[in-house]
Amino acid sequence: MLAIEGLTRRFGTKAAVSNVSLEIEPGAFVGVIGRSGAGKSTLLRLINRLVDPSEGRIVCDGVDVTALSGQALRHWRADCAMIFQQFNLVGRLDVLTNVLTGRLAKVSTGRSVLRLWGDDDKARALAALDMLDMAPFAAQRADSLSGGQQQRVAIARALVQEPKILLADEPIASLDPRNTKVVMDSLQRINKELGITILCNLHSLDLARAYCDRLVGMADGRVVFQGRGFDLTDHVARDLYGLEAGDVMEDAHEMGAGTRMAASA
Amino acid sequence: MTATTLRTLSAIAAQEAPRLRAAYPDVFRVDLKRRALTIGGIGLLVGLFALGLTMLETSWTRVFLGLGELGKFVVYMIPPDPGSWSKALVYLGALAETVAIAILGTVLAAILALPFGFLAARNVVPSWILRFLMRRSLDTIRSVDALIWALIWVNVVGLGPFAGVLAIMTSDFGTFGKLFSEAVEAADAKASEGIKSTGGSDLHQVRFGLLPQVLPLFASQVLYYIESNTRSATIIGIVGAGGIGLHLYEQIRTLEYQHVSFIIILVLAAVSLIDWVSSRLRFSVIGIRQT
Repeated sequence: MLAIEGLTRRFGTKAAVSNVSLEIEPGAFVGVIGRSGAGKSTLLRLINRLVDPSEGRIVCDGVDVTALSGQALRHWRADCAMIFQQFNLVGRLDVLTNVLTGRLAKVSTGRSVLRLWGDDDKARALAALDMLDMAPFAAQRADSLSGGQQQRVAIARALVQEPKILLADEPIASLDPRNTKVVMDSLQRINKELGITILCNLHSLDLARAYCDRLVGMADGRVVFQGRGFDLTDHVARDLYGLEAGDVMEDAHEMGAGTRMAASA
Repeated sequence: MTATTLRTLSAIAAQEAPRLRAAYPDVFRVDLKRRALTIGGIGLLVGLFALGLTMLETSWTRVFLGLGELGKFVVYMIPPDPGSWSKALVYLGALAETVAIAILGTVLAAILALPFGFLAARNVVPSWILRFLMRRSLDTIRSVDALIWALIWVNVVGLGPFAGVLAIMTSDFGTFGKLFSEAVEAADAKASEGIKSTGGSDLHQVRFGLLPQVLPLFASQVLYYIESNTRSATIIGIVGAGGIGLHLYEQIRTLEYQHVSFIIILVLAAVSLIDWVSSRLRFSVIGIRQT
């Protein structure tokens, strides 16, 4: 159980995340929605401790994550893997090494710096790549891959961390519709087959409804909506997106039509 | 979604390992040849280093015995003392001249090198012949040290700070040309493509696509060289190209060690001051983004 209690993060005088309290049950697929600048990214980065909170606590299975430092903090970060909109791979390294960096918190510093990876870790990396149909690319440089392929490598890196939670920060915002489906399906499979809790920031309400069993809506750094997909009425969407609501809903309907067409084809 | 069907990646990896090993043998094969080459290469370099030390007659006993002499110098130098106020003013004036030589020489070198930096860059000049000529001429200029250039310019324009400015300018023109062209080559092509897509000319692409990306880098390199050249300008002063170097040389020659330490402290203070100013300037040029 991941519990967020009164979490606030201020940048200067502006609060990016403001007094957020949430409980995330293990095995859930939670979508975080809201317009750009609503604090979704900061919330995920706070959980991974890439950003430190100004106030409040994050508690996971009885451990106060906000108090961790040093080795314990590194292990927490390994426990809540993160994937990013821009993938954040090391472009000049090959795919396999990129995935193996997901083991860094568990391998001795000497071995990892000299790149003397164990066979069991290589097997984990390949198994993760294999799950995402990326194993044949293991020897290629990461920056030679397309966006969708890079995001799948990033997911493989997250998987070899063997995390409890996977934090996905707009994972499909830079991808085309086909790769969007591949990536979202992969996340769903990871959630169902490996039981990893997923917290996913999304722009598209349609995708959020289709994939997430629970939605959290944010506006101005606050949680303004919690519920299931069908609770997300036009009225709520308007609250979340303000004047943009019409556009967002229209997009959502169009995308819905597209998905239906793809399904019938 | 019952708990019994959940698996861990480790379990999957253990189960799939034989198949993955068979399908991707290269991943698991330890490349002994490559490892031997790496270790052999490091061994070779260490050997070469040791050989070099013996060939240059490195004598640790001489260093050890010399340490006593070094200690004596330090004792002679304390306390730093210019002798008289008038002498101190002379030294301060010479220091100002040195700093002026460094700043003028570096800035002139940077201005001259700016077009050449672009002309020697692969992504600006596709013709390899032109680029080759640019690079080799920059290499040639750079291969002659500022001290040698000072000797040459003293013969051409006579003794004095003007020769110093020219010496710094010529030697750093070569260095900046190389550094600038490398910065231009490392720049992101996306911005230039954006300018091209709007119908911009080649010059527009360089002006609006490349220059804004590389200018902060250029500025920080130039600022570093102003600091570094304050030290170089001290040295070229010794061969008569103006500045505080000549005084330093004179005082060492006449065994006035208290004067020497005073001059060294002056140079140290000037370099620290330039370093402090340039780091502030650099941050304002780079424009650290506020979060």
